[in-house]
Amino acid sequence: MKTASEALEAPQAHRTTAAGEIYDRAIDLAPVRAAHSAQYTAREEIVADGNTAAAIATLQMWRAVVFPGFPITPSTKWIETVASRIAGDPKSKKRVKLLEAEHAVADYLVGAAAACRDLIFSTATSSVGLDHMTETTRSLGASGLGNVMIVDVYRATANFPLCIEGDPSDTLAHRDDGFIQVCARGKQQIYDTMLQMPCLGMHPEVLTPTMPGYYGIKDSHKSGKLMVEPDHDVNAFQDEWIGPCPLPGLLNGDTAFGNCVTSRHFQGFKWSQKQRLERVLDLLPAIGADFEKRFGRPGLAYFDEVGWAVDSPGEGSAEWQGGERRRVDIAVVGMGPDFGTFEFLREPYEKSSGLRVAGVAMRLLTPFPRAALRERLSDAKVVLVVNQAHHYGRGHLTLDVVDALSDLDQPPIVVSAFAGLGGANVSEETWERMLDHAKLALDGHRVASSALFHEGEAL
Amino acid sequence: MSGYKDLAQRDSCFRPGSTLCPGCMEATAFQNIGRASDNGKKTVFTIGTSCAEVSTLAFPDVVAWGRGDAPPDTWGKSFSILHNVFESAPTLAESVRDVADVLAEHGALTHPVQVLATSGDGGALSIGLRALLHTIHRGSRVTIVVLVNEIFANTGFQYSPATTPFAETSTTPVGPNVQGNPRPPLDYIHLAIAAGAAMVAQVSPSHGKLFVRTMERSLACEEGTAIVFVPAPCISGWKFDDGQAIHLGEMGAQTGVYPAFVWERGKGGSVKDCDLDPAQRPPLENFLGLQRRFHHLVMRKPEGSGFTARPGREDDLVQFKAWTQKNVERLYKLAEMT
Repeated sequence: MKTASEALEAPQAHRTTAAGEIYDRAIDLAPVRAAHSAQYTAREEIVADGNTAAAIATLQMWRAVVFPGFPITPSTKWIETVASRIAGDPKSKKRVKLLEAEHAVADYLVGAAAACRDLIFSTATSSVGLDHMTETTRSLGASGLGNVMIVDVYRATANFPLCIEGDPSDTLAHRDDGFIQVCARGKQQIYDTMLQMPCLGMHPEVLTPTMPGYYGIKDSHKSGKLMVEPDHDVNAFQDEWIGPCPLPGLLNGDTAFGNCVTSRHFQGFKWSQKQRLERVLDLLPAIGADFEKRFGRPGLAYFDEVGWAVDSPGEGSAEWQGGERRRVDIAVVGMGPDFGTFEFLREPYEKSSGLRVAGVAMRLLTPFPRAALRERLSDAKVVLVVNQAHHYGRGHLTLDVVDALSDLDQPPIVVSAFAGLGGANVSEETWERMLDHAKLALDGHRVASSALFHEGEAL
Repeated sequence: MSGYKDLAQRDSCFRPGSTLCPGCMEATAFQNIGRASDNGKKTVFTIGTSCAEVSTLAFPDVVAWGRGDAPPDTWGKSFSILHNVFESAPTLAESVRDVADVLAEHGALTHPVQVLATSGDGGALSIGLRALLHTIHRGSRVTIVVLVNEIFANTGFQYSPATTPFAETSTTPVGPNVQGNPRPPLDYIHLAIAAGAAMVAQVSPSHGKLFVRTMERSLACEEGTAIVFVPAPCISGWKFDDGQAIHLGEMGAQTGVYPAFVWERGKGGSVKDCDLDPAQRPPLENFLGLQRRFHHLVMRKPEGSGFTARPGREDDLVQFKAWTQKNVERLYKLAEMT
């Protein structure tokens, strides 16, 4: 090996990119990969909560070596888990970096990710913690640093009143930050989602930071069975999708990040940012399919579906009646773990009401899968959108759903509901009440532009 | 340490073409820092939003950074710069340092890297004081340069926590009820020492050799964070005549407003070119009189050379001098600390 001074004096091959020079041999990540200390060497079923599942997934990535963090309920256990596992592993060279505030964490992510664009830098936060990062998450969203992953553990965003339970008002308030936002529900989906997100964000045609998230308390703090994959397979999967970044980083490049531009050039930067984000719509299903092929569990998808067409529907099923296929009477659009309660009562409700009821639980929030959702909902007569975050109007999700349906000649009636604000459970009674509310619209009655439901009552 | 001849032959990473005001001290500082950092180590600058950023990183017309007219063939000469929001520069630098260190620890990066953060006093001492102190407190091996022009120059010359007493700024205007900035500046040198800095200095390019030597020492500092506060007379905000920046930099130091000071943990430090005895220092009025931001306080002497208090403002000038003396005494005391 050359001494440092010899290496410095020696000319090095470099090549020109749109963002400056790359010195390909400046960094050799092979030793980093070789030094990775595996969390699991074989597939194993463990018991974990959502934060632990997310932390384990991140620790399994050989590219993740520095973990900046700052605690905030309900995401704190993510950084605690990372710290304790690193502390307990004498072979690990990974580092925890404790910063003084969430804003500092976000700034740290910018510098670290820009320094080496082939490593993954991840943190977890919640609510006002994410808000505190906002000034820099807006920079990150436009930065091209797809190697940043901010895990958002959903929690209501306000301190008047302060509520530490999980509703997605934080992540939905950050739709325009420029991150790829995916919602996961349940321990397994959380773990699986974390493993796939860098594949999406670091893809050379995407280069956009990611913000996977899950509901605080309901999913972050409740334990259940979790199937973890061996690190070797996890990294083989990621290696398949993550190649060397085509653009220079601060360390292996001669480059500038974060220039000041006039409005004329601002258009170009933003257009490029949007184009990269749109590519997610093509790549996400492919990454999800590869994940499913490798690990035997569903991979990333635009949304989870329940109650829609099946391959061989039996006569007498809700979908078929008198030899003819029936349209969906009420289609529910929701997200998060409360959707599971709807899944549980959907069939009984169909039987008792005589209606055909289906639903989708949104996973890809940004970019919103407009075309796919339109295609899925076009068959429905009424769409009931369940919003779980405070909004000045009909709800964040409702606006997106209405927009997605706006291209149809005869779009379904959209009924907007709010439920589960502040992380309150959406009970079976509340779901039934909301479905009855949608049924009124189905029967031709006018319903309020939006309504708030709680514990089986319309408030 | 390098001599001027050696320094002049180096490639500064600060290139022609910035849109900083003609005569801006920041440009002079960058030119010298740029040369001092051409030492064979890979250089990464981080920069918070400031005059220095908007005037040097304007894409695509002016990107006034980089070594040489073309990308260098040796990686050790290559240069990268990262800008983010006002307060971010120290944290950005710390993260780059950490990544370089982690890569080096793994054997993935075998060449030395130096990281330097640049902020204005608004970015570092007002909105970014948290970030500044915590990066210092964590002992990050980076050099932080704070260009102290005592105002938010970038947004139109508003008050900053480093503004000198009585100075007129656009948010501490002079009128019948207010006589400019009513507060003494934040004691940022003491704060940096208290936070744990390995090296703290206050020096401008007006003290040329000392400035370059201090920058080289700060870049070589391995024990923790080195921070250099650079007094930066602002031609537009301080309102002085063309060609006076270097002179004002020197006078401000000599009169005790921002004395040159260099301190290292474990070794102590010293105040340079500023006597403890006020009688041995140039008259403060002569420093103030060159700047229109103090014209409510001082006026040219009727009999000719020099400046004197405006009628009715004598007490204010006494107060100003008292603060200046405290400032000098405080730095002498800090210099004794090890």
